[in-house]
Amino acid sequence: MREFAAAEKIDRLDRALSLWRAPKSPWLARLAERHGGFSPEVVSLGVTRGLEGWTRDSLERLHERELDRPCWVPAETAVWLAGSVPTATFAALLLPLLAGSAVLAKPSSADPVTPELFTDSLAEAGLAGAVRICGEDEALREADCVVAYGNDATIEAVRRRAPARVFVGYGHKLSLAAIGPEVSVEQAARDLALDLALWDGRGCLSPAYALVLDEPAGRAESLAGALAQSLEHTQEVLPRGALAPAEELEIRERRSFAALRPDGLLFMSGNSTAWTVAYDPSGPLPSPGALRFARVVGVRNLAELAERCRELQPTLSSIGHCGWGEREAEIATIAASSGASRVCALGRMQLPPIDWNHDGMSPLRPMLRFTDIEGSESKAR
Amino acid sequence: MKRANIEECVLAWIAEGVDAPADEKRFDELALALFRHQYEHGEAYQRLCAAENRNPSNVEHWTEIPSVPTGAFKRARLATFPVEREVRTFRSSGSSSAERGELHLDTLELYDASLLATFGAYICCASDPLRFLVLAPSSRDAPESSLSYMFDRAGHEFGRGAPSFYIDAGGWDAEQTIADLEKLAEPAAVVGTAFSFVHLLDELASREIRLALPEGSRVMETGGFKGRSRELSRAELHASIEAGLGVPVSRIVNQYGMCELASQFYEATLRTGEPTHAKSVPPWVRTRVLDPATFTDVSPGETGVLVHYDLANTGSVLAVQTSDLGRRLDSGFEMLGRLAGAEERGCSIAADALLGSR
Repeated sequence: MREFAAAEKIDRLDRALSLWRAPKSPWLARLAERHGGFSPEVVSLGVTRGLEGWTRDSLERLHERELDRPCWVPAETAVWLAGSVPTATFAALLLPLLAGSAVLAKPSSADPVTPELFTDSLAEAGLAGAVRICGEDEALREADCVVAYGNDATIEAVRRRAPARVFVGYGHKLSLAAIGPEVSVEQAARDLALDLALWDGRGCLSPAYALVLDEPAGRAESLAGALAQSLEHTQEVLPRGALAPAEELEIRERRSFAALRPDGLLFMSGNSTAWTVAYDPSGPLPSPGALRFARVVGVRNLAELAERCRELQPTLSSIGHCGWGEREAEIATIAASSGASRVCALGRMQLPPIDWNHDGMSPLRPMLRFTDIEGSESKAR
Repeated sequence: MKRANIEECVLAWIAEGVDAPADEKRFDELALALFRHQYEHGEAYQRLCAAENRNPSNVEHWTEIPSVPTGAFKRARLATFPVEREVRTFRSSGSSSAERGELHLDTLELYDASLLATFGAYICCASDPLRFLVLAPSSRDAPESSLSYMFDRAGHEFGRGAPSFYIDAGGWDAEQTIADLEKLAEPAAVVGTAFSFVHLLDELASREIRLALPEGSRVMETGGFKGRSRELSRAELHASIEAGLGVPVSRIVNQYGMCELASQFYEATLRTGEPTHAKSVPPWVRTRVLDPATFTDVSPGETGVLVHYDLANTGSVLAVQTSDLGRRLDSGFEMLGRLAGAEERGCSIAADALLGSR
């Protein structure tokens, strides 16, 4: 990648992304057909919406912002992929390339398809060889920078195996929705259902909780009911993917735990585990939702919302919000004080911009090593 | 039908033994009557049923009775009687009390009846009283362990003399175990957890001892290894027991049970003389093998999740959903292990693990 001038590099990366963004993209069709972890509908919508904002302009802006000084760029970056969310894989491969490093990609066992197809699309866009898919030994042997995604144990294990390299680790996170009173429950439920449905709650940007200001009293419960209706409708247009047997049982078990709570409410799809809404009026946070198992939790005021967010530190990633009106600025303050790295509109939680400071880190800089050039002695005087 | 009447009928069925006909109509009537009782008297169970929109008026067959995941026994008191009537609580193994399932009992009559009927049929097989050597703590040392209770109860019922227990709070008494095994002069039942047998076999191997227990001796092992010893397949374990203790595999039985159930399941190896993987289901119990996605019965021979319906579970819930995988066989079911943890879920799983205990 070092042989390309910045403009040429960005041009080719944009060309690759364009292949995926194109109407009736055959690349996207292939991914939707072959991925297996999600329904084709979810893959199509998730990738289409996810890549909308990853334009040439955004790549240029990011490049200009991050590479603003002379720096060392790794010749090859090993990227340890995790999970099965295609857009997360796209970003993980794209960012080192934008920095100017070739990529040795170690696919996750849950999704070998996305890195393969994305690599092929790069080749078609004139970046053949920019990404090489390989096993972990080869990746670690040859790379001079390692970027690892995964659970904390994996990150630590990879870090130990990659001494004396530049290492960037993205561990596990979760996200939540914060819903205020100045939006209809139906609208909030529709937006929340979309954030829950895209990637089936398998990613760190999926709302593990929906914290709802219960103002007036009963609004949080109403939202839970509206969300159940939205998820039922969403299941028709964006069906959930197949689950592993253990996941099926986990949902059934979680449903029973929720049903056992005397003060809670439980809504669920009939004859399947397709979706679940568990409503908790208040109290300590229950286990987080996932796999379209939504947790709606009532909060009495912003102070309680802040307390719940702080409970999730340091695992909180994004907060998707709506309906706060003039109190919106306070959500940002709460997010920052709980270590969240992103605040966005509800309904856009799965659509992070390419220049998002993932886990609070610059997208490119952690892979680079900058050279600070101070003025000469005479000039300094 | 009142609970007392239901229990009378179940006790009568158990008294007929494991070879009694597994009459479908008889089971269905009793199961539906018991479900009605448990629904009406079990507040927590009622909430679970309500979530599935099931109640005695719309459940028409025992297969429609809502099952309760074993995990729920850790979250709620699933009992149909008040706390003050409790006579015994069995708790599943776990690292802390918050993580342990509990079976609350206000009577041990059915528990004992089922336990003795199956243990007698599949382990003692009408033999003369046996010497009982137990590789587990006694129920005095482990009062919350259903396994220790079973060994204690069966040992006193079927044993010649009091059973010998070799594990207590101080650990396993290897010296005494091996000394007692070496001087056995008449048939014995050596019973215990699978991992305790591994420790015994390792100890015997380190001392270069190969025992030959008296003819007619038998071994019953149960449970998994749970990281408490090196892990062996069931076939390897039985072969090692044959080599180390001199008990042929045709006299070694694996038992499958759980704290949440009053009844247990045994291989019929000792009754037939042929080693088998099939766990026999007593007539007063049903075991279904269900597709985890649809919760409908899988075809015979296919793998699914085991759900048990135990009429001896009168004071709690009769339908218990496990995380165990198995397949249906003509003579019962085969246990194939526990479902592995849920597949890694992108980057949300660690937080899930972090908060999963809530």
